[in-house]
Amino acid sequence: MKRIAAAAILAACIVTAQAAGIVRVVTRDPAGRPVGDAVAYLVNLDSPAPVHPPADPVAITQKDQEFSPYVTPIVVGTRVVFPNLDTVQHHVYSVSPAKRFEIPLYIGDSKEAIVFDREGIVTLGCNIHDWMVAYVFVLSTPYFAKTGPDGTAEVPGLPPGRYRLAVWHPRAGTVSRDLVVAGSDDTTQVVSVVLKPDHRIRRAPDAAGAGYR
Amino acid sequence: MGNAPPRLFRFRRFGSRLLLLIAGLLALAQCANFVLVRRANRRNATERIQANLDKGALLFTHRVNARLDDLSSRAALMSGDYAIRQLFLEDRTDPATVSSALETYRARMGVPFMTLLAADGSRLGDTGGPLPAAALKPFAGLVERASQADDPKAHAYARLPPDGPGGKLYALLVVPVYAPRPEIVAWIGLALPIDHRFATELKEDAQLEVTFYYGAPGRMLPVESTLPETALVSSGPSDIVEGDRTVDVGGEQYVTAYRSLPLITPGSAAIALQRSLRVELEPSLLLERFLLILLLVSLAVAAAVAPWFALNLSRPLRALAEHTKVIARGDYGTRLALDRADEIGQLAASFNRMSEGLAERDKVRDLLEKNVSPEVAAQLMRDGSALGGEEREVTILFVDLRSFTAMSESLPPRDVLALLNRYFDRMSGIVEIYHGIVDKYMGDEIMALFGAPVPLANHANNAILAAIEMRGALARLNAELEAEGLSRLNFGIGINTSSVIAGNIGSSRRLNYSVIGDGVNVAARLQNLTRMSQYRADILVSASTLAASKGSYRVRPLGAVPVRGRDEPVEIFAVDGAE
Repeated sequence: MKRIAAAAILAACIVTAQAAGIVRVVTRDPAGRPVGDAVAYLVNLDSPAPVHPPADPVAITQKDQEFSPYVTPIVVGTRVVFPNLDTVQHHVYSVSPAKRFEIPLYIGDSKEAIVFDREGIVTLGCNIHDWMVAYVFVLSTPYFAKTGPDGTAEVPGLPPGRYRLAVWHPRAGTVSRDLVVAGSDDTTQVVSVVLKPDHRIRRAPDAAGAGYR
Repeated sequence: MGNAPPRLFRFRRFGSRLLLLIAGLLALAQCANFVLVRRANRRNATERIQANLDKGALLFTHRVNARLDDLSSRAALMSGDYAIRQLFLEDRTDPATVSSALETYRARMGVPFMTLLAADGSRLGDTGGPLPAAALKPFAGLVERASQADDPKAHAYARLPPDGPGGKLYALLVVPVYAPRPEIVAWIGLALPIDHRFATELKEDAQLEVTFYYGAPGRMLPVESTLPETALVSSGPSDIVEGDRTVDVGGEQYVTAYRSLPLITPGSAAIALQRSLRVELEPSLLLERFLLILLLVSLAVAAAVAPWFALNLSRPLRALAEHTKVIARGDYGTRLALDRADEIGQLAASFNRMSEGLAERDKVRDLLEKNVSPEVAAQLMRDGSALGGEEREVTILFVDLRSFTAMSESLPPRDVLALLNRYFDRMSGIVEIYHGIVDKYMGDEIMALFGAPVPLANHANNAILAAIEMRGALARLNAELEAEGLSRLNFGIGINTSSVIAGNIGSSRRLNYSVIGDGVNVAARLQNLTRMSQYRADILVSASTLAASKGSYRVRPLGAVPVRGRDEPVEIFAVDGAE
């Protein structure tokens, strides 16, 4: 997470050395509560900025039979590894058109990193644990951030120009608006996000061996 | 009243009237009872069936939902299967592979048909070969519906074409394939046939006849039914309208509930739940038959009992009627013998008391007539015995026997009385003949009145004629007495006409009808004067009598005689005979 943010900031600094704007995104649900795990990204409408995948792979771990993090925004070409820190095997898969893959039952580090080479949303699952779900948002823009539990995200290093700001959440889909960044603007965009009911299945109660004693 | 229209029918006998009344009322009551019970039975049976039909309709919905729930759980189990996910790991799913894999699952789940649709509703594969667009469309529609639902599941009734899975009614169901939840990557479509087996099972549970209809509105035809084919054909194409009603199926009445089954495909479908009214009524028919028998038996009993009852009532009435004739004849001695305690018995007792009363009255009247003259008796019976009087002109006649006291001493008392009564009888008879009354007997003397109490126009005349008649009667009696060896009787008669007071005289306990006045004394005086030998007369009348008589008699004037208590003397005449 920190590494992603750092990489993004670094990339932005390289592209626009002289003047860079910052867009702060604040997500709120209709009740005014902050919405975390939302991906906020900006696409330059005048000249699309190239993306540079990080040199190191991004990790999505499996611990306590849950994926972590729940939502991972990356740029196209990023390599992702799936270290399994549990004592049980997992079988990570995706049947999403953006990336179809599976890592059959394994434990510890996955053998190889998976390269996410197409933009789109990839839903991750575990073939033997139905409740495990995670999302990888593969982006073709370097300007993005994920909201924290306080519902805010900061996208820095924006060269002046016209942008389309989009906010995506697994339970809300995408909402977008156009905006202009001039000079070293520091603007705050409040985005309202309507969440659909959480249809994730609850973890099996006997998954930790608390069933028939 | 005389113009009253003639009656069409008149009962000759009380019995017929009573028979008709009892039998009629009974028949009316029983028939009403029968009709009401019959109607109530039919209504109850219909209501009972309708309640069952409602339950049957619910049961149908429950059965469909239960089966769909069952299929849904099986499909959910299957959709989480690794092998299914494997199919979607390919960049392009191979329809043939998908279809053959689905065939495996179809067999495992025991459903007749299964299809797999992409998230957008397009076909990925299905069992039983590729579906024509007409068969695919309803599933695509359901996917659209389910995608918008909170719980992504949908079902609907559909008619799938015969070149699809069999051309029947189905309940279609789509359930999502998650990879992982809540991401829906595909839909599993299932079809539950609403077929003959389904209808039969529903019939076993609900005890109702089940028919499924399909067609266009107004042209619905049965597609599956638990009723025999012939019954369905005879009932013809049904104009199916949602609701309950009674229809004729193969000549039998069926209470029917139609419930439309909304189709996701073109056309209309309905379920008809039915129960025969005859079957439902069977237990009540027994009761109805019993009531009918009861009706006939009670009518027969009424017909048999009513005449006896009527006779029992009319016989004493007839006896009473006969008895009134007996009483009308004047026979008060016969008594009506009816041993009854009811009103008729009381009536008979009243009749008998009435007879007794009438007999009593007769006896009293008889005695009265003997003790007073018939005319006085009649007046007493008519006017009562009020005291009082009236002034009127009457003729008073006194007749007294001569030297009867001396004669009576030589005879035994019984013979004296017999002789006196014999004499009185003759004299009284004559008084009555001339419309006079014997006012009283005083020893051997008779006081008679003419013109009271009944007014008499020629009272004076009648009195004189009566006196002359008495003379003859005495002569005849004397002839008889001589023949019997008895002494002759002699009498003297005094007659006077005068205004007197006539009325009932006496105390409230004992009354006599009589006259009082000066004229009475004069008559008595004249009678006494007949004793005077110088007159040589046995009948003396006063001048007032002679004046009032208007008759012509041979009379001898005897001059005026003084009368005690009177200032003027009275002129008297001896009557020798009629002219």
